[in-house]
Amino acid sequence: MPEYSVVGRRLPRVDALEKVTGAAKYGADVHPPGMLYGKIVRSEYPHAKILHIDTTEAELLPGVRAIITQADVESGRKVFASDKVLYSGEPIAAVAATDSDIADEAAGLIKIEYERLPVVQNVMEAIQPTAPRLHSDETKDGPSRRGIRNRLKQLSLDESEGSSEEIRTLETELETLEEDVYYNISAETHTEIGDVEKGFAESDIVVENTYTIPRVHQTYMEPHVSVASADSSGKVTVWASTQGPFAIRSGIAGTLGIPLGKINVIPTIMGGGFGGRFGVTMTHVPAVLLSQKTGRPVRVQVTRKEEFLDGRPAPGCVIKMKTGATKSGGILACQALAFWDSGAVSGASIGSTIRVRGVYKIPNLKVDAYGVYTNKSGTTAYRAPGAPQAIFAAESQLDEIARRIGMDPVEFRLKNMREEGDMIPGGSQEPVIGYKETLKAVADAAGWWNRDKSHNQGWGVAVGDWTNGCGPGGVYVSIHEDGSARIFHGSMDITGTDTAITQIVAEILTLPYERVTITRGDTDSAPYATGSGGSVVTFTMGNTAKLAAEDTRRRILELAAERLNTEIDNFELRDGKIFVNGADSPKSISLGELAAFSLNTRGGPIVGKGSFAQQSSTPALAAQIAKVEVDAETGRIKVLKLVSSQDVGFAINPMAVEGQIEGGTVQGYAWAIMEEMQYDQNGNVNPGLVDYRVPTSADLPTVESVIVEVPAPNGPFGAKGVGEPPITPTLATMSNAVVDAVGVRVNDLPIKPEKIVAALHNNGN
Amino acid sequence: MKKHLVSFTVNNDQYDLLVEPRKTLLAVLRDSIGLTGTKEGCSTGDCGACTVTVDGKSVTSCLMLAASANGKAIKTIEGLSSGSSLHPLQHAFIDKGGYQCGFCTPGFIMASKAFLEENPNATEAEVRHALGGNICRCTGYTKIIEAVMSAAELMRSARQAR
Repeated sequence: MPEYSVVGRRLPRVDALEKVTGAAKYGADVHPPGMLYGKIVRSEYPHAKILHIDTTEAELLPGVRAIITQADVESGRKVFASDKVLYSGEPIAAVAATDSDIADEAAGLIKIEYERLPVVQNVMEAIQPTAPRLHSDETKDGPSRRGIRNRLKQLSLDESEGSSEEIRTLETELETLEEDVYYNISAETHTEIGDVEKGFAESDIVVENTYTIPRVHQTYMEPHVSVASADSSGKVTVWASTQGPFAIRSGIAGTLGIPLGKINVIPTIMGGGFGGRFGVTMTHVPAVLLSQKTGRPVRVQVTRKEEFLDGRPAPGCVIKMKTGATKSGGILACQALAFWDSGAVSGASIGSTIRVRGVYKIPNLKVDAYGVYTNKSGTTAYRAPGAPQAIFAAESQLDEIARRIGMDPVEFRLKNMREEGDMIPGGSQEPVIGYKETLKAVADAAGWWNRDKSHNQGWGVAVGDWTNGCGPGGVYVSIHEDGSARIFHGSMDITGTDTAITQIVAEILTLPYERVTITRGDTDSAPYATGSGGSVVTFTMGNTAKLAAEDTRRRILELAAERLNTEIDNFELRDGKIFVNGADSPKSISLGELAAFSLNTRGGPIVGKGSFAQQSSTPALAAQIAKVEVDAETGRIKVLKLVSSQDVGFAINPMAVEGQIEGGTVQGYAWAIMEEMQYDQNGNVNPGLVDYRVPTSADLPTVESVIVEVPAPNGPFGAKGVGEPPITPTLATMSNAVVDAVGVRVNDLPIKPEKIVAALHNNGN
Repeated sequence: MKKHLVSFTVNNDQYDLLVEPRKTLLAVLRDSIGLTGTKEGCSTGDCGACTVTVDGKSVTSCLMLAASANGKAIKTIEGLSSGSSLHPLQHAFIDKGGYQCGFCTPGFIMASKAFLEENPNATEAEVRHALGGNICRCTGYTKIIEAVMSAAELMRSARQAR
């Protein structure tokens, strides 16, 4: 590997000082003069008709400046529920007042009359004909009817003799399967490779199970907040804590019919997002409407409770899965039927069901996935959206097969893993990848090969994969007369991407890290930047920044040639200076001198530009091993060891990369063991951090991270996206460890103590 | 609503404020005084983001009414560093990568400060237990605990040097 001086080093982050001194300004820290406080009025019921909204009393409260409902939305796009609510917590109105307590009080004075409707919260009930319908009576075919219909379609194209008899048989069959239809379906997706029936028939062992994965909340520490200020010219300024300022701009423009150029989104520092803070949600549009109505800046900040009621969490799902393999450990077929809980709006990560294929050679694969409406808030992305759910089912099945055929679970996975050039089921050929290296690395680091355990202790292993996305981005780099460099861009930094970008630019320009600074613009000033999600930023903006730095270097060399009156080829950029090669007397010129010189040249100041949109990345694997101890009496799981390896391509800042691996692993642990949004006929029943438990430092041992580097050919210095992979395997890692400890497999997450105790009891213990 | 006169110091500065009895210390620190380094993550005392010290003790300021802070000495994250010199905890959080989004960081640092001042020789297990009231969703805690353990050492040597 080449020697680098800035990338690859554990440098402190560029935002270190402001983050540890309290100087960093987050969404709720914005307080323009004359600001009003907004409060959203929400539905009390999960499914009801709205009969009447009475705002009279609230309007009379001193300090109230505006109350808005759907009637105030001139564009006609839905912002508030007006005739029917589909989940408890759905916005119905909003208030602006001179004080936050007055806004709360006014919200409580708005009287809403409802007529309650039957509620459905469970996906398996929602697909039944007896379920209340959320949107329409429309039905979708289940997998059996779909299969017959597809065959019939083929036969109708086939004009050969003899098909008419098959058509008659199939049509009769279709009639007998009239119950194979689902209600309340929001979306569907289907994939079929090879012939799973043949694969299962040839298998020595077939494992079949149903996995239930709960809906969980991203639980970013900063609740949603935005401040909006609409001026008399119609210009709207929005301070938003968001992963994607440009998505907020287009979202507000689209919802309210405001021209794009009349909206400026100023991104504040953001208190975590994990996918849940992307587009226009919760606060943005109500803040703009309230500001337009009052002519004053308005802050809408939601409470933690509102986050649970009306946030956009990760979808829960039910996956029925079947895997077949030979006695010698070859996987032959894999089939999954998944029902994703979309909540009241379409949008669950159903496309991720294909991830049950994992990183293995699977000749026969069939995946049918449906999104199902229920009386809950809608869902959105949460760190590797959909992958932890699908991979939990698949990696649990593989563990079961390895146990039944008596093969080491690591060996079994290594035997089936794809290598470079292998076909990805339903995809293209594998590029350069590091699946086996990553799994071996975690096994070595965890002491897997000579693992020991006492009574009620067990070891679990699982792997999960994710390929980072890529999006559009632009970056400028300028060189100042003091020889320092300044980066200007518009992408959001959550966990250190500004630091990675700075390291990349410093490396290319051969400047010390401290001599390069970075500034984020708003949507009025900065070039377009992709949202910070899908592990895209280091890959996308890193590549963009590299292009900008290279462009800057070109201009530097051009200027040096002009200044020193020689050919460009004779120069070398080193230690922030231009050196002339082969000169009799060594000659050099600093970047500062060149920057000063540039101000009086025909070509002008040193400004490099990078602009970039699409480039394919390569898959990254996360592999984890846990050692646990289960108290057979209470069912409590104690983690004794949790080791997480990940192929990151190239770690631009190893400290930040480890932080991603550790944080993602703990989120996966929590999904497996403790987190679950619970619902009943009245809606969410645990909307707070006492009843919805996320892990604290007291729950866990030190998570050990292991960095593996198999460079991505298109990544900046070989880097791959690192944010998402580490959450993908942990649900299965934990479950597999519990099986090894006490011999019971809990397929209905989270693995709560009472479920372990009940399972042990059923096993006759 | 009738307001009451409340007097206290914040980071050694004297404040005499008229506040409604329903206002929390957190609301007054952030909205009236403008010290926004202290964060609101849940407003129910469960996440620890609003942790400050009151007379040296760690307090979740979203649960304390401003009126009950009358006559007390409050310290917030803004009062931790003096000029350009950082507190050992701040140094350690930077060097060990003990933060990501940073929203929970002021609360973690203030809670750690109160704990380490009373328990300078705390073990890792004791630190993990003591910080159980502060939630971080980004780091998985490994690097936070490393930072606090490292700061404890820095604070011990600073104390010996005195």
